[in-house]
Amino acid sequence: MSGLKVRRAPLPWLAAGLLLGAVQVAAVAVHKPLGVSTQFVVAGTQVLEKAAPTYVDRHPLVSKKKYREPGYGWWLDIGLVLGALGAALAIRRFKVSKAPAWWEFNQGRGRGKRFLAAFGGGFLILLGARMAHGCTSGQFVSGWAQLSLSAVPFTLSLFAGAMITAFLVYPRTPAIEGRNES
Amino acid sequence: MSPHWTGLIVGLFFGLSLVLSGLADPDKIIGTLRLKDLHALRTIAVFVLTGMAGTWILTLFGAAHFSIKPAFMVSVLIGGGIMGIGFGLTGYCPGTGLACAATGRLDALVTILGMLAGALVFIFLYPGLAAPLQKVWALGKVTLPEATGIPYAAWVLGLGGAGSFLLWATRKKGN
Repeated sequence: MSGLKVRRAPLPWLAAGLLLGAVQVAAVAVHKPLGVSTQFVVAGTQVLEKAAPTYVDRHPLVSKKKYREPGYGWWLDIGLVLGALGAALAIRRFKVSKAPAWWEFNQGRGRGKRFLAAFGGGFLILLGARMAHGCTSGQFVSGWAQLSLSAVPFTLSLFAGAMITAFLVYPRTPAIEGRNES
Repeated sequence: MSPHWTGLIVGLFFGLSLVLSGLADPDKIIGTLRLKDLHALRTIAVFVLTGMAGTWILTLFGAAHFSIKPAFMVSVLIGGGIMGIGFGLTGYCPGTGLACAATGRLDALVTILGMLAGALVFIFLYPGLAAPLQKVWALGKVTLPEATGIPYAAWVLGLGGAGSFLLWATRKKGN
């Protein structure tokens, strides 16, 4: 059985973590801790604003200004996409692909199955994140940055759900080529 | 309120860092969830601890902007578990999904479409389901120092120690 070839991370763990941590501290100094998932609800609200404006007016959540008027967080997500694109181009990591190596190794090369899982997974990610009032950025990383009580149950259930699912979906764990060794 | 362009700048650096760190790579995330490639785990640990220590230092200068989430425990637990299923299945979260789509991963683009569908369904379910659930065991916008009476600095030092131990204990398993 051949090994699983993954790409080496561009930075070693310590430099990578310090860089991300510096962005978080800058975010806290400038406006508020990092968060990403709220803007998907903002995007949904923009769609409904066109399709059913009276529904938005009467809605207990998305009638709020925070959802109706794209602001700081909206621009953060746009910056995130542009920053990722710029970095990938700069270090020649931009590459069109359809599935992670782990997926192909465990679930085969059929792209329909991966895309179906990707759509369903994305659906659960956002639904769950908004029920929890935050995702891996807003609730987990920023939760611990501020020592929010809510970060405790979120961390426990997020990683329990993720590890059990990964165990079921990616059962075969071959030797990995491309790990970052220090 | 900060002007919107500050969001754009913070976002640019966040997206760049997600790519350079390797977190915007589902293989790294899945490798960590399967405990076979701990680069992402160690990176995330340093990310969290640096953010925590840096935020604490900012509070000493009165320069931190907090945004504490309300601790409705049941909804957070259920939501976290549902999100975890999607996270483990795809290897993406909202931030890295956006970053990965920007680096050419088509399955990440499909994940984003799924997230938009999830957001719409959340909006539809909110009045009847999500809002009532968020009233169960709701403890308010509380921090751990407030909830426990243990001082802020002690929490930062204690969690810093626990995180350092985690980094030490995982030192040999793929960095």
